[in-house]
Amino acid sequence: MAADPTRVRSLDDPTVIVDTPATIYDAVPPYPPQTEREAEFYTLRDGEMLINLGPQHPSTHGVLRVVLKIDGERVVDLDPVLGYLHRGVEKICENCDWHMAISNCDPLEYIASMFSEALPVLAAEKLLELKVPRRAEYIRVLAWELNRISSHALFMGWLALDLGGLTPILYGFIERDEIVEMLASLTGQRLLFNYLRIGGVNGDLNHDFLSRLGDWMSRAAHRIEDSQTLINENEIFVKRVRGLGTIDRATALRMCLTGPPLRATGIPYDVRRAHPYSVYPELEFGIPTRTEGDSYARYLLHLDEIRQSIHIIDQVLHQMPDGPVMAKLPRLLRIPPGRAFAALESPRGQYAVYAMSDGSDQPFRFRIHDPSYFNLQTVGLLMPGNLIADTMAIMASLDPIMGGVDK
Amino acid sequence: MRTLHDDPDLRFTLLADICGVDTGRKMQVVYHLWSATSPDWLRVIADDLPRDDPRVPSVTFLWKGAEWGEREAYDMFGIIFEGNRDLRRIYMPPDYKSFPLRKDFLLPDDAARSPGMGVRHMEQTAPPADAPDEVLLRRSQLD
Amino acid sequence: MSVLARPWSRLTLAGKIVLPLLLLLLLLTIVLVAGVATGIIPFLLGWLIQLAVDNIGIVRFIVAATAVLLFTVPTAFVIIYMEMKFIALMNLRLGPNRVGPWGLLQSAIHGFKVLAKEDYTPTGADVAVFTLAPIVTYLSSVLAFLVLPFAPGLIGMDMNIGLLYFFAMGGLTVLGLLMAGWSSFNKYSLLGGLRAAAQIISYEIPLTLAVVGVIILAGTMSLNQIVLNQSGLTSGPPILRSLTFLDWYVWQQPLAFLIFFIAATAEGNRAPFDLTEADSEIVAGFATEYSGMRFGFFFFAEYVNVFILSALTVVLFLGGWTAPIDLGLLLSQFGIGVDPTIDPSRLGHLLLFGVLIVPPLAILLLTLPIWMLRSDWSFLKSLVVGFILFNVLAGALVGLWLTLSFEVVLGLIWFLAKTYFFVFVFVWMRGTLPRVRVDQLMGFAWKWLLPAALLNLFVTAAAVVVVEQLR
Repeated sequence: MAADPTRVRSLDDPTVIVDTPATIYDAVPPYPPQTEREAEFYTLRDGEMLINLGPQHPSTHGVLRVVLKIDGERVVDLDPVLGYLHRGVEKICENCDWHMAISNCDPLEYIASMFSEALPVLAAEKLLELKVPRRAEYIRVLAWELNRISSHALFMGWLALDLGGLTPILYGFIERDEIVEMLASLTGQRLLFNYLRIGGVNGDLNHDFLSRLGDWMSRAAHRIEDSQTLINENEIFVKRVRGLGTIDRATALRMCLTGPPLRATGIPYDVRRAHPYSVYPELEFGIPTRTEGDSYARYLLHLDEIRQSIHIIDQVLHQMPDGPVMAKLPRLLRIPPGRAFAALESPRGQYAVYAMSDGSDQPFRFRIHDPSYFNLQTVGLLMPGNLIADTMAIMASLDPIMGGVDK
Repeated sequence: MRTLHDDPDLRFTLLADICGVDTGRKMQVVYHLWSATSPDWLRVIADDLPRDDPRVPSVTFLWKGAEWGEREAYDMFGIIFEGNRDLRRIYMPPDYKSFPLRKDFLLPDDAARSPGMGVRHMEQTAPPADAPDEVLLRRSQLD
Repeated sequence: MSVLARPWSRLTLAGKIVLPLLLLLLLLTIVLVAGVATGIIPFLLGWLIQLAVDNIGIVRFIVAATAVLLFTVPTAFVIIYMEMKFIALMNLRLGPNRVGPWGLLQSAIHGFKVLAKEDYTPTGADVAVFTLAPIVTYLSSVLAFLVLPFAPGLIGMDMNIGLLYFFAMGGLTVLGLLMAGWSSFNKYSLLGGLRAAAQIISYEIPLTLAVVGVIILAGTMSLNQIVLNQSGLTSGPPILRSLTFLDWYVWQQPLAFLIFFIAATAEGNRAPFDLTEADSEIVAGFATEYSGMRFGFFFFAEYVNVFILSALTVVLFLGGWTAPIDLGLLLSQFGIGVDPTIDPSRLGHLLLFGVLIVPPLAILLLTLPIWMLRSDWSFLKSLVVGFILFNVLAGALVGLWLTLSFEVVLGLIWFLAKTYFFVFVFVWMRGTLPRVRVDQLMGFAWKWLLPAALLNLFVTAAAVVVVEQLR
């Protein structure tokens, strides 16, 4: 045992030498296929090749590994392998109390983390049947819509980046930077805000935030239109993206798609209207839909949603009532037994939580339904038949966030 | 399930969520459906599944998008969905031996190990010998 | 030697460099003085010069090849810096601005970085081919430099099949890329190499066909001759003759110019046709497994390629080193005669005055206002600044004299200006446009550019025949 270099003695042993002979690292797993789909995927026909769009890749939106079966340059089949960012958030939330669950759920959707923070908050409020002060509700909506705009601005940037244009992502980052700085003056953090609390929000609006918000609002709509003339009319971009990854309505429902990909196929399902929460019933906004269902439609839909969000923010600022921003709660929060399903509309789709409480101060089961997870299944339908170059475009147009996919 | 989907009065065409639950005594599979005709979500619970061999028919024939939801339920709980063509682990490595979200999951003793033999010193290898069952298994009060 | 070890180890690093240099310098001085005193060195020198004069062709070639090799590296550095800075400015960010003023030394640091990286060969790679691939790619770009006319008389080798040689060298690039893609033991590299080869081969045909029109008009494939043919209308009123840009081939072959420019973008693997290095799809394409100086070679080869393609555009269509307006001729129409030649050997005492007295006076003249106006600067500091300013002014004046009196300098300046304009257009396209997909790229080459080039060729040939008949 001492002198055998090919055997790993223990991972804690400091003298271990992992010295396997140089093998061909292929994408085929080293065990026999466990399911019939796996067998079907990993048997190669003549001329096909398995290639790994590996976890370390400049544009897989996080750590996602996709095993592509390609025939020359055309994708025949694919098998996404997840779990590279799996943190066991559901299990962690079962072992911490409801307030700690807010910080644990933050990094699920790290780009627009107000939405993922809202999951334990909305679930607890439903279980407690707690009435949140109206000012807090309005502030929440404001924060949510700002997050939505920053996430969409980034999406448009990196769709172009995946296609090769180096400039639009930096324009997207200008918007995002301003919004994130604004929210930093409000919450103290730039990325993982930790701002929502069960019963309200953490602190009231301050003068710095409001002045930055006013500044930004005066420029936002115009600047977003401006930065889009670079992309929307660009012949190369449109040719690459139009007609790519078309989904029709029936398929979209079958694939449990939610969010902008679903609305781009023509189904106007938006949780803010379908099952209103917070103060959305009092706000007036439209649900943009498009009918083509291809990547270009999804891209334009994100633009429309930004405009709607700016409209909502406008109304919120006009209608903001006064009052407290946090309801009175005991410090040790014991929630009566019950089950609750709360959903909200994040930039990626329907973010939902199914929480079960057993009367103690820890959730009993905290199930997070993440839209990116279910939306990502659609790539299995859309990519085959396209070229490798389009795989990234399709994946980018569905806007997955691996933090949510891998929980 | 199919009735809920196809019936023209109900038309629950959108599967909002599919998940597994371990209540400490038994397993459940919970589906949330949404329809344009109903004001709220419909929660369907496939209840009373035995903890050692939970089996449930799959809904992938209706919603192909439920495939990964079922894979996750299998990965986390061990619930076998009959009819799912691709029931393998999705988050954990494929040779992992136990199911993380079950209430009787203890980290070190049954997890698959890499080819080396030792266990890390900070993990306990077995629950203490005098621990009663109730301590280890948190049970829900809902059933 | 151990008796020297102790004092040697007590020197600082700078000392360890300077001391051997000083000793070497001392040795060299002794050898030189001894050689000159005994007459050996003048004899050797005389013999060498006689040898060179007898074989002037070979010597000229060696000098030209060395100059070309030496010129490519700074060119690549300049273009790399341009790209980083301009794309950054287009992205509304700053780009390199730390290393040297405005980040000008960034490219040099990139060069050092590339040399300092670990140089490995992946297991399973074909070592000989893997090592040779970057060299072949780099050489194919550099060898094309030999036929470019930089200025009147400043050309590496004036072959009468210069254009054909240029395209032949361009074809060698394919070989280098294929070698790179195949020999790295990696599927991504293979895909990238194949894509690159397919792209370059497809676009070579419209490239060469577009240029055949120019060959018909010029009657020769020699690049020098093509430039000379564009140096101004030969008949007509002097005003028109002074506007030499009217004789450029871009007006006579506009379609060919467009086709050539687009095909050149694809030849050089530049955006929007840069799918071989599409780092969002296949990491770095054929160069995935290369690191350190090997990757540096590919990197340089690409930027040298950009330079030579822009240079070829300029030479073929925009008149090479000819200035757009012949100022001398134009001004002489209005009665202004300019005779800027100053012969230094006829200055006599004026030269003494100019060399010994003017510089210190000028430095002082520049220093005093600075010293008086900037109260926090010491006299020494303002003296240094004054010295620098004087150097800049003197350099500018000398440059102006050189330009006006030697045709070569003016030609070189115009050539470089026009070439760098096109390099800027390449950089501009890279910063703005997204990538074209590989099948769209192939479709574009074969279905649009090739028929357009053929059309251009037929029309040109027909036009030449018709004009000949009319004459």
